[in-house]
Amino acid sequence: MAETGRLTRAAARAPMVSAVVLLRAAIILAVLAVWELLAHSGWLYRDVVPSLLRIVGALVELLGHADFYRNLGVTLGEIGAALVVGGLSGLAAGILLGANRFLARAYEPYLYYLGPTPKIIFLPVLIMWFGLGSESKVALGTLSCFFPVALSVAAGMRGIDKVLIRVGNSFRASTWQMVLKIYLPAMRHPIINGVRLGLGVALIGVLLAETKLSSAGIGFLIIQAYSVFDMPRMYAMLIVLFVLAIGANGLVGRLGGLHRIRH
Amino acid sequence: MTDVAAPATRRAGNLAPAAAGLGSLVAFLLAAEALIRGDVISRFIVPPPSEILGSFYRIATQEHILARFLLTTGECLTASIMVAVFGMLIGVIMQRYKLVQMACETWVAALVSAPFVLMYPLFMVIFGRNSWAIIMMGFISGLPPVILKTIEGISGTRKVLVDVGRSFNLSPVQQFWKILFPAALPTIFVGLRLGLIFALINIVGTEFLINFGGLGQLIEDLAERYDLAGTYAAICFVILVSVLFFIALEKVERWLRPVD
Amino acid sequence: MPSSSAAPNGILVVKNVVVRFETTEGPITAVDNISFNVRQGEFLSIIGPSGCGKSTLFNVIGGLLTNHLGSVEVAGESINGPHKSIGMVFQEESTFPWRTVTDNVAFPLELVGMERAKREERARHFIKLVGLEGFEKRYPGELSGGMRQRVSLARTLASEPKILLMDEPFAALDEQTRLLLGDKVLQIQQQLQQTTLLITHNITEAVQMSDRVLVMTYRPGKVKRIVEINLPRPRTSEIVGSEAFGRYVAQIWSDLREEASRGMMDEEAQALHHQGAAP
Repeated sequence: MAETGRLTRAAARAPMVSAVVLLRAAIILAVLAVWELLAHSGWLYRDVVPSLLRIVGALVELLGHADFYRNLGVTLGEIGAALVVGGLSGLAAGILLGANRFLARAYEPYLYYLGPTPKIIFLPVLIMWFGLGSESKVALGTLSCFFPVALSVAAGMRGIDKVLIRVGNSFRASTWQMVLKIYLPAMRHPIINGVRLGLGVALIGVLLAETKLSSAGIGFLIIQAYSVFDMPRMYAMLIVLFVLAIGANGLVGRLGGLHRIRH
Repeated sequence: MTDVAAPATRRAGNLAPAAAGLGSLVAFLLAAEALIRGDVISRFIVPPPSEILGSFYRIATQEHILARFLLTTGECLTASIMVAVFGMLIGVIMQRYKLVQMACETWVAALVSAPFVLMYPLFMVIFGRNSWAIIMMGFISGLPPVILKTIEGISGTRKVLVDVGRSFNLSPVQQFWKILFPAALPTIFVGLRLGLIFALINIVGTEFLINFGGLGQLIEDLAERYDLAGTYAAICFVILVSVLFFIALEKVERWLRPVD
Repeated sequence: MPSSSAAPNGILVVKNVVVRFETTEGPITAVDNISFNVRQGEFLSIIGPSGCGKSTLFNVIGGLLTNHLGSVEVAGESINGPHKSIGMVFQEESTFPWRTVTDNVAFPLELVGMERAKREERARHFIKLVGLEGFEKRYPGELSGGMRQRVSLARTLASEPKILLMDEPFAALDEQTRLLLGDKVLQIQQQLQQTTLLITHNITEAVQMSDRVLVMTYRPGKVKRIVEINLPRPRTSEIVGSEAFGRYVAQIWSDLREEASRGMMDEEAQALHHQGAAP
């Protein structure tokens, strides 16, 4: 274990870092301990909090099944498609709204107030339009993802340092060149933040739709596990899902930094 | 810089975009009406807008709209208040104790858009199939953004403002309430809006999924009964509720921060 | 001394330019019937008090502002929008923070489709010209303000414009950096025989760098006087201390002071009017 540093006011960076590691380890251990205690206490209905060992066992079993990966692929594909369609259309809409004052004042309020509305309410309608398959799930994800991206990009456009636009104009850059070489790089932070948010809501949207439609995907598997009260398996899947969601979020954030160095 | 409108026409300039937006919405609805009546779009998938409008009254009176509205709104309000209070509290504590902040901030950031809603079976088992399960779902999912933005807002206070406070010998409590908190408010409100969005999504979503209670369930119900016009009307209603909610949030923010 | 070009009028011909704006206070004339020529290879400064319309003139000549009366011609061609013969350097920070110095300078070459190897080589030439050799791979965020302005200058020079148009490019820098950068710009201008138009409010800068100085009146901006600066070339910042220099500065200042006072009184009147104190 790392040595503990003393947290005096003049503490150097190095001791601080190992104190952080210690604290994190302590928190994790505490949570796990409480969990295990609850599992064996019998306070809650059986198996609501299963023993950690059983969860790990279910996780191992899960990761060995081809079935799991098939469903995972379905979910990831749906989320990916939703991100692409929703993200790109959101980007286009955002650029349009950010560039044109009139359009922004006419239409952006609608986006602003429609954005926070939970898109799950549209699911019955989407099912009527797109059927019971992947399309309606992707549609829901796309709808969810569109708004945060569009709003973030619109605000980002307005935040671009005006002089950079004048530089582009003074060099007679075409519209396409302006978008690719000036607008997009100048907005990389708002874009990344918008995409992160869009990813989050698209994820929730797709999973909810899968849960409701109950045919394929991780959402479906989770409901299936719950319906037979196989809690360890459900928890195992939740763990996988959370890890994926967190990983994707981190990846998007990392991409934002990478872009800067490459170009 | 080309001609800017003269003072008399400035006001009209403000109305024109709003009129354009509204106008295109009306035009869209009229076009939809025409296309649906003309059978270009099947009325079994999308009922004509006039029919949807017509069913508003029916839905309002027959489906215990008030009770449902109060239930969903009550759940949202409870979750919102909990999110705000606990989120800001935890945020303040984390910002104050740097060690905790350094240990936990990235964890909280990772949880911002984690799919908590999938844990609803769990919440139902723990809290029962009632409003509390739903409220807790909303609470948990709305918490991370508020915590993060609170930390960001307080940390981002310009040092010179803190120095001003110290030059007046303010106690730490005074420093917090008179300087740090007001300076952090804009950022905190960004977090609140985000937290409320997630809470709302989870609350209505869960209602929808578990067929319980308020407006979320209403939509599900109407869809199952193939009451198309009613379904669309209910959706409009939920949108209305959501819009009102966030306008209310803005009013609160405007009240707390009159100057901008 | 600047040589005469093929076009007897000069490479840049500004004729009867009038610019009017509609504002909340009614129409104002920013620039009123300005005409002047710039000879090939010449360094002309345009100086005037705040509010005299010099930035408006900058935008007109650069083609960013087309809503005006009168004409602007470069080597016989009329300006109707940003033109490849005119290179603009702006007052504010204008380097692209996400591009390296090389990629910043190569930007205009990238726009016209030059291949990477060639444009990087060209960029390196101009980076060296402005004295930033060794900083090719750095980002603007790592450079000082003066260095960033040099990058902007190199970027504009890389497009090899017939006319270099600069709007108070050193305004944000401290006096010493400004003088030294002025030296550098002068050096470059001499080397390239670059026709240069500098908008400034700084008399020292104008006299130090120019062959002629055009003094503008306060709004509506007209040509008050054109002063020939007959100081020997090549010039460096050392000349700032000389007697002849001082006389030019004094002469221009006396013109300018009149206009600047009018400007100040006008602005005070406006501020009172806004508060409702004046009828």
